[in-house]
Amino acid sequence: MIRYILGRLISVALTFTVVSVIVFLMMHAVPGGPFDGNDMPVNDAVKAKLNASLGLDRPLHIQYFKYMWGVLHFDFGIPFQSPGETVLQLLARAWPPSLILGGSGVLIGAPLGILLGIAAALRRNTWVDYLASAFATLGLTVPVFVISMMLIMVFAVWLGWLPASGWDRPYSWILPIAAYAAIPMATYARYTRSAMLDVLNKPFVTVLRAKGISERRIIFQHVLRNAALPMITVFLPMFIGTATGSIFVEAMFRVPGLGAYFVSSINLRDYPLEMALILMITFMFCIAYLISDIVYALVNPRIRVGGRQ
Amino acid sequence: MPLVDIENLTVSFPQHEGVVQAVRGMTLRLNPGESLGIVGESGSGKSVTCMAVMRLLRQPPARISADKLELGGIDMLRASPRQLAATRGRVAAMVFQDPMTAFDPVFTIGHQITETIRAHRDLSKSQAWSEAAALLTRVEIKLPGQVLVSYPHQLSGGMLQRAMIAMALSCRPQILFADEPTTALDVTIQAQILALIKDLQAEFGMGLIMVTHDLGVVAETVDRVVVMYGGRVMEEGPVQEIFDTPAHPYTKALMGSIPGRLPGKQRLVEIPGASPNPADPPTGCPFHPRCTVADARCGTDAPAFAAITANRAAACWRLQ
Amino acid sequence: MNQPVPIPALELRSLSKTFYLPRRGSFLPRTTAHHAVTDVNLILPQNAILGLVGESGSGKTTTGMMALRLVQPTSGQIHVDGTDITHLDHVALKPLRRKMQVVFQDSYSALDPMMTLSQIVAEPLHIHAQGTPAEQIESALAMMERTGLHRSYGSRYPHELSGGQRQRVAIARALILRPSVLVADEPTSALDVSVKAQIINLLLDLQAEMGLSILFISHDLSVVRSLTDTVAVMWGGRIVEQAATETIFADARHPYTRGLLDAIPVLNPRDRRQRQFLTREQIQSQIPRICGPKTGQLVQVAPGHLVEAVQP
Repeated sequence: MIRYILGRLISVALTFTVVSVIVFLMMHAVPGGPFDGNDMPVNDAVKAKLNASLGLDRPLHIQYFKYMWGVLHFDFGIPFQSPGETVLQLLARAWPPSLILGGSGVLIGAPLGILLGIAAALRRNTWVDYLASAFATLGLTVPVFVISMMLIMVFAVWLGWLPASGWDRPYSWILPIAAYAAIPMATYARYTRSAMLDVLNKPFVTVLRAKGISERRIIFQHVLRNAALPMITVFLPMFIGTATGSIFVEAMFRVPGLGAYFVSSINLRDYPLEMALILMITFMFCIAYLISDIVYALVNPRIRVGGRQ
Repeated sequence: MPLVDIENLTVSFPQHEGVVQAVRGMTLRLNPGESLGIVGESGSGKSVTCMAVMRLLRQPPARISADKLELGGIDMLRASPRQLAATRGRVAAMVFQDPMTAFDPVFTIGHQITETIRAHRDLSKSQAWSEAAALLTRVEIKLPGQVLVSYPHQLSGGMLQRAMIAMALSCRPQILFADEPTTALDVTIQAQILALIKDLQAEFGMGLIMVTHDLGVVAETVDRVVVMYGGRVMEEGPVQEIFDTPAHPYTKALMGSIPGRLPGKQRLVEIPGASPNPADPPTGCPFHPRCTVADARCGTDAPAFAAITANRAAACWRLQ
Repeated sequence: MNQPVPIPALELRSLSKTFYLPRRGSFLPRTTAHHAVTDVNLILPQNAILGLVGESGSGKTTTGMMALRLVQPTSGQIHVDGTDITHLDHVALKPLRRKMQVVFQDSYSALDPMMTLSQIVAEPLHIHAQGTPAEQIESALAMMERTGLHRSYGSRYPHELSGGQRQRVAIARALILRPSVLVADEPTSALDVSVKAQIINLLLDLQAEMGLSILFISHDLSVVRSLTDTVAVMWGGRIVEQAATETIFADARHPYTRGLLDAIPVLNPRDRRQRQFLTREQIQSQIPRICGPKTGQLVQVAPGHLVEAVQP
């Protein structure tokens, strides 16, 4: 097991490095620089000086190594679009809203989705199943900004129960969390339903019935335990993906989160921020997958405990 | 009172190609202390019969109907889910064909055996655990303590089958169904398991229904035999008589086609054709397309299951 | 005048296979050696059927796979029709593959579900570029009829057939290239009793008709009795006894063979008896003590009858 973890950590480092190189090159492959926009046109001489001041005239590989050296010291540079703070300070400011809303969305949506999936599996091919599956499909196919819009229309405009936007009071968090919860809920509903149906068809479930075990115990003790194994691996990566913010939800609800920066940093050629965001996500996903695999190995007796005796 | 009382059982499954008629009008009775073998090839309906009487078939899609379907006096057709769960494992228990997939892979053997015990008997956890260990010893497992804490994937097929037998017997059932219990095992292990089942049946005073396609298994283990084909019973009688003087043409043909009966390399007597398609069975007697003595009536009317002698019965026009 | 010794269809000389399995729980990658097959010598004469019998883990399937070079032996040699094929590369081996074919236990997974039966049976002709496509299909249909399937089945798919019918297709496919050697690995084990008889008869007929040799691997001694000329019994990766089939049944000398024969279910209820089941150690201790060149060697106890023996 130790050997396995060490091996995976090495591959995380490798992945990280490879991604950083690829992203850096792609970033600079996009034509234009941070000062080419039309809102504040500058002449070429000024542009050259500005670029030089940011080190953008140096050869690419020098720029790369300088930046990565900084990364190793947790110095991600200064965002071009917000020179008054460091990238780290920007992240510290902008991430918590995304984390709170997105994270809550997953933490609420996943269990709801699991319940929906269980209901669908147990009442297979009845109206419960069709309704739950339809709900789940909608959650995945309807774009999240449409969901956000509908939530605003219904709860803020028509019913007037909740505010349409804002970040100040927890009250205003309810709708964006609901919007964030849609995809996790739908994903988990589908996964749970098919995982459970898979297990329900296995021979050992018939044997359990033949032993006279109550249906309730069969479902909650045996079927869920077996169905949960594949679902464990899905959770952490999904959490990371949602907790880093959605540009659409945050735009619709005017939440000052991280989502917007993903796109703006590309548009504005904000290289330090762009790199930092992508490296952060890459690292978190790698660790998430590693943890998932370890947990799976611990929970599955076939891997945890050896073979034949 | 018979332990198992089945009268006119019919089981069908609607599927895309048509309705699969797995069992058509099956009647069977098992008395206390008796052992009965149900012999048939795949598609004969032998396993479905046992699954139906234990109500282990999902309904829908299965459709079950019978004039009588009783286990230990309990009406299995009209019992509530609670009554069914109370009956299964306690009144009647079942041993299945593939021991490797019969256990839940995420729980230990001990957990699964004690779970059965505590579902039907009023024992504490530690009492159930010692009971499980005693049962494993009784089924000739050498290190019961170790097996109890093992997971299914750590044990061999033979060991798992013994554990499954122990699990089935844990609540002292009156009836034991064994559905091809040795098909997945090596021949020496098979012999041991069959001997074990016979001993346990005598010791626990149970009724035994052994479902198999292997006539050798039947010759080894049971007192009476029921031969099934195409969802119907073809012949029934004491095992020695069936082997010495098979009456039904199918039984005769089956006996003749057993490999290794006669010494030396040689062609066997084969039954031409293939098993009937359960979704589209032949009219009349299901065996008539392959029968050497079939006449016109065999193809149109299904023969009634009637007595030939005092303790033998068969469904064949040529015998009546 | 000396009769020339006929070249056997298949000869295995000192064939061994060791698998290296990863060992759990250690820091450095360690492996344990598992000796699946040790020092197997077998001769399958032309026009004969040899039964290779054993229980699971005996190494019989591995031996059969090595004979076809589907598994590479760790040591030893394989001779097919006199040619040493042990170390031939793919290019040299390909034409020789026509002489050796295989039929497996699970006919369902042996047939490509996306191909029609005639395509399946014609495929070997296609691989070895024999004849035009039209001729290939025609040969395939003819072969299917030889194995008892009407040629109208040619356009059907594997899932439409029963187990016995699929096995016929697998046999037709294996024999269409007229091999010298057919390795059949438990071809009847998954079949019903009445269908077993059909397939056994089919193999007997085709063997006589085509003069091919069959290495029949099975755990079912009853089937082996009706089908084979000689039997080799394997246990723990080694051959422990080898003789003409009826000799084995009448006069088995090795305790493991005796145990195997004893375990066969009776064919008549009046023959029921109590059985003695020996443990592995007991079997080991009862192996005949005969003078031989070295322990574990096969010794001839009667003409054509070999038994593994230990030094007294």
